[in-house]
Amino acid sequence: MTTPQRAPAAPAPATVAMLLADARLPGGGHAHSAGLEPALLGGLPAAQVPAWMVGRATTVSLVEAGTAVVAARLLGAPAGPPPGAVDAVVRAWSARTPSGALRDAARLLGRGYLRVARTLWPHHPAVAALSGAGGRGVRDAPPRAVVLGAVAAATGLPPADVVRLTVYDDAQTAASALLKLEPSDPLTAARWVLDACAAAEPHVDRVAACRTPEDVPASGAPQTEGWAEAHALENEKRLFRA
Amino acid sequence: MPETQTPATTRPLRLGVAGPVGVGKSSLIATVCRALADELEIGVITNDIYTDEDARFLRSAGVLDPERIRAVETGACPHTAIRDDVTANLLAAEDLAADFAPLDLVVIESGGDNLTATFSPALVDAQIFVLDVAGGGDVARKGGPGIGRADLLVVNKTDLAPHVGVDVERMVADASTARDGRAVVALSRTDPASVAALRGWLLGVLAEYRAGTHVAHDPGPMAPHFHADEDGGILHSHADGDTAHEHHGQHAHDEQHEPARAPGRG
Repeated sequence: MTTPQRAPAAPAPATVAMLLADARLPGGGHAHSAGLEPALLGGLPAAQVPAWMVGRATTVSLVEAGTAVVAARLLGAPAGPPPGAVDAVVRAWSARTPSGALRDAARLLGRGYLRVARTLWPHHPAVAALSGAGGRGVRDAPPRAVVLGAVAAATGLPPADVVRLTVYDDAQTAASALLKLEPSDPLTAARWVLDACAAAEPHVDRVAACRTPEDVPASGAPQTEGWAEAHALENEKRLFRA
Repeated sequence: MPETQTPATTRPLRLGVAGPVGVGKSSLIATVCRALADELEIGVITNDIYTDEDARFLRSAGVLDPERIRAVETGACPHTAIRDDVTANLLAAEDLAADFAPLDLVVIESGGDNLTATFSPALVDAQIFVLDVAGGGDVARKGGPGIGRADLLVVNKTDLAPHVGVDVERMVADASTARDGRAVVALSRTDPASVAALRGWLLGVLAEYRAGTHVAHDPGPMAPHFHADEDGGILHSHADGDTAHEHHGQHAHDEQHEPARAPGRG
């Protein structure tokens, strides 16, 4: 496989969104369940999974989406990111993600995404600005939403698409994991993905308008946090990282 | 290692261990650790499907500091984790290397899969494919990417051969034929000579790796291939693969690929 030195033209932002939403992109996502395995182990009845997906799409997914949108704005600033911009976004995200297990999982995904970003857009300042934020260990890495923001800045992905991509990816990750955890007709799960995305649609403009770390939605889901913590202590029944 | 010269590379050698369920991959890794613990700094990553059973087995074997044995979740797709998306294993290998620097060797055990699962060279520098005599004397003849082209084929549990009616010499000869003479070790953890052969092979690979002369190669997935060339390359399918699929990283294409289905993600 050869990588052209100069691409004749940049791909359309929509193409980048499709690439990032495609589970075949090797970024480490296949080992994650977007909270589904923790939820089922914690006692969520399988019949409530579609409602649970809608719940995520209108709460925690929007925290992730807002984080990515703000990161993209700051990292894509024409004069370069303001000093401390990445740290400020990470702090805002951390404050809205109380579970240490979830933060660890998001940082692990961030490292995987960073491999993707550094390989595909190695010279873009928004991606380069994450250097040093990557660190060696899980705890030092930027969470995936921040890396997604850098990719969005590097590729011109519009804020509304960043929000929809984040919501979709979370729902589809859960749907894909569902087929391993509570096998059923895969098209049923696909329906639920669309329903979850539709439920988030009224929030898209609001979240896409986020400009500063303070703007990031603070719509938490405490039960999800609790399930994630319990799951992280479970060593014998895990298929997924989180 | 006895050599004191500066190694050509400081990253630990990453060694994959693949093979079907139950052939003794974990046991082989324990044997490697036992045989080399005095001279090498080793870390191990396991890829269990549903539990950290393998990691716990290795920890309980007492051959390595338990902290140096880590389990990685694979989302029920162990073959994806060693080939199509190696991210989780790669990050775990980086973390082990950072936490216990300087490591000489990181062994990555695949979740027991089938005869077609092999490691991507994006993850490992060299790989061992493991069979056992109890699986039947004819398995080696059946071939496949791991049997045919892994850096080393181990025919394990030779001590069981009399009980399962398998002729070890014949099985090894069949394997050698299927491999065009690539390395084969008939192993029993209770046979010191066979353990010495395994140890010697590994130290040889490590020496080559450090000298910069070892070339990681891909035993070959069974999927359509992208051939890069001056004109940009062509995508072609070896058989009935239903999805276009590129390899990440370059690899030689002078080997014969037998027809098979494209590996899926499930």
